[in-house]
Amino acid sequence: MTTRPVFVCSAGAVTAAGTGVESLAAALEDPVWDAPVGLERPDGPPLPVAACRDFSPRNVLPPLVARRLDRPARLLAVAAREALAALGDPLPWDRTQVGITAGTWNAGTSALVDVLRAVFLTSPEEAPPAQFPSTVANAPASQLGILERLGGPNLTFAEKQASGLRAVVEAGRLLAHGRAAAALACGVDEGDWLNAEGYARLGVLVNPPGRVGMRLGEGAVALSLAPEPVGTPLARLAGWASAGSASEPWLYPDRPDALVSACLRALEAAGRAPSDVDLVLSLANGIPYLGGLELAALEGVLGDHRPAVLSTNERLGEAGFASLLRVAVAALAIAGRARPAWAPAPHLAAMGYPPVTTRPRTALVTALAGGGSCLATVLTTA
Amino acid sequence: MEDRTPGVYRCVGPDGSLYSAAVKDVWITGIGLVTALGPDRETTWRRLVAGESGIRALTLFDPAGFRTSIAAQVDDAALPAVDLPRHASRATRFALIAAAEALADAGLPADGDSRPWALAMGGGAAGLFETEGFIARRLRRGRQARGLTEFLELLQDTPTDRLAARFGLGGPRLTVTTACSSSTLSVGMAAEMISDGLAPVALAGGADAICRLTYTGFNSLRAVDLSPCRPFDRSRQGLTVGEGAAVLVLEDADHARARGATAYARVLGYGATNDAFHMTQPEPSGEAWARTILAALADARIGPPDVDYVNAHGTATEQNDAAECAAYQRVLGERLARVPVSSVKGALGHCLCGAGGIEAAITSLAIARQTVPPTVGFAEPDPACPVDPVPGGGRPHVVKHAISSSFAFGGNSGVLVLGSCR
Repeated sequence: MTTRPVFVCSAGAVTAAGTGVESLAAALEDPVWDAPVGLERPDGPPLPVAACRDFSPRNVLPPLVARRLDRPARLLAVAAREALAALGDPLPWDRTQVGITAGTWNAGTSALVDVLRAVFLTSPEEAPPAQFPSTVANAPASQLGILERLGGPNLTFAEKQASGLRAVVEAGRLLAHGRAAAALACGVDEGDWLNAEGYARLGVLVNPPGRVGMRLGEGAVALSLAPEPVGTPLARLAGWASAGSASEPWLYPDRPDALVSACLRALEAAGRAPSDVDLVLSLANGIPYLGGLELAALEGVLGDHRPAVLSTNERLGEAGFASLLRVAVAALAIAGRARPAWAPAPHLAAMGYPPVTTRPRTALVTALAGGGSCLATVLTTA
Repeated sequence: MEDRTPGVYRCVGPDGSLYSAAVKDVWITGIGLVTALGPDRETTWRRLVAGESGIRALTLFDPAGFRTSIAAQVDDAALPAVDLPRHASRATRFALIAAAEALADAGLPADGDSRPWALAMGGGAAGLFETEGFIARRLRRGRQARGLTEFLELLQDTPTDRLAARFGLGGPRLTVTTACSSSTLSVGMAAEMISDGLAPVALAGGADAICRLTYTGFNSLRAVDLSPCRPFDRSRQGLTVGEGAAVLVLEDADHARARGATAYARVLGYGATNDAFHMTQPEPSGEAWARTILAALADARIGPPDVDYVNAHGTATEQNDAAECAAYQRVLGERLARVPVSSVKGALGHCLCGAGGIEAAITSLAIARQTVPPTVGFAEPDPACPVDPVPGGGRPHVVKHAISSSFAFGGNSGVLVLGSCR
């Protein structure tokens, strides 16, 4: 393994807070901001999804381009264009050497339902051929590669809640091995009723409001990563690690060991001690069991140390891209581009974890997927 | 060029910077297969080199209304008994059977707890075939339609999670989902994790199962042949949808030697690029795919003259096969006439996200047994595909280095380079 540095050079985002990193930063700085929640579905009440209700690609993508993209591809294209625009034109690298890594939980589900609607309600011959390529989860990243003429490795990962962080880790690995000169680490999820209804049937969504449970999220995030700084980088991706523990694919594991292991190894790779961490991006998503698991993991990693904690999932929604969103928020905070004012989740605050009050220098961002795959990354000042 | 050996290398990145890279030798010490030709590795290989085809009438669901009625469908009744978790999908079942065979083949125990082994799988339709039952009821009857358990294996990484749980794998775990190149890339990335010292052993490959969505999709794109597919044949008319699984045990060679294991082949490197051209059409000149092949060869530190065999993507669509052969022509030049280029899809169908893993397994067997598999279904040469597709049956051939190519929807291309351990 090499020790080449990896810089987070720029960011782009489309979230329930709006389009653009500035919208996200503005929401983070408002202590009482909350996302509009509600996703329509056929013959049922809305589902608890923090959707990008006002999203339009109009100001970013030409109409003819936008028309041939489905919603996840549009979300990602708009986020990626923001990240790329910050790097200048032309890009500092040959576009054939720029890779894309993407993480998603549910990209393609809406297209899948459209195709199957034809199969089940009319005839297979009526299935819309143009929709089929959008049913594959790699479609948004592929469309982005075509749109931006990026010819480096193009990899999509499916790892449920951890998908976005996987994209960061694998982008780092591509750069470390010289497989790309730069990479866009991306995450994208659409608000789709089938996926949300499945989780509602599992009983894990916060429905009706006021009860425990999670809300799902919709959006896209793109981070440009490179082994050399471009402009004023937001942060440095200093270390990463992953591990797994066994559980049913839709359940969290029953012990925090793998998450602790991933965190400690990521810190070691970053050359940082647990006491150096001054910001933790929390996993908290409204599911009490996960809250307890994370608390145990933090105790295993940090001991009595109590860095600031920021919880974003409970407002912006749980999703595959949400773990990448946490990296983006950490990078923006480290760069001083956002001053998050959101309080930690109550169970974390009760254990003495304070809110963010100063500009952090070392952030720990983790992810834990149903099924037990864990990742940890450490971001530091550039 | 010299073959690569373990050690520490000074490398030049694409941006011109110098860096050090430690390289560990990665062996393939176990192979498990579930295909339309058979429920295990040896049945699949024996029937494949005999020139048999696994393509038959589709029985998984009623094909009325589709253009075709055939598929390379796995015979579920022939599969070995396996202790299945509740609600397991067919894809999970294929993956569990293939992994159990691979571990037994490698002489590694199936049972363990939090073993620090890596796991990298290509994720495809997963449990979508089972979920389609729920979706049909939901669309027809509305929200009152009952259903939950069929939903539980919908996500692409479900078979991966099932493998981790069943075999006690606690190391890095990832699921690549890049359509037809998914499990090619998963093998390459798993090998890289071993090479990086992140794990001494990795299970890698992929599993995919036929479902109405994929069957419908390729039908609607008019990409299927009404007869069994004929890769590289002049009259080819499209692919045949298939299914199956492959799991390879990849191992740090030092770890394998220490326990007296033998290897089928070595993973020398992989290449990954993006065509940036079109979602479903290949870049016709072959330039984009040549770039992928050359990236893989560079990663393996060998050159085009070292390639002895090509296990092609070979879907049997008119555009894919022509563009692919153009890519090989660009890379291999006049040597192309002397390098066998075969596609197993004529026998196994297009197993989509499982295809690359299956083809990596077949390529490993070709290296170990110095026999290249045939392109079943090939009959008449096509001037647009000037390759030796190994017609008929398997052929003895000296294979020191081979490539296994996968060129996917969206232009997400992946090529593996495997080498002999002799």
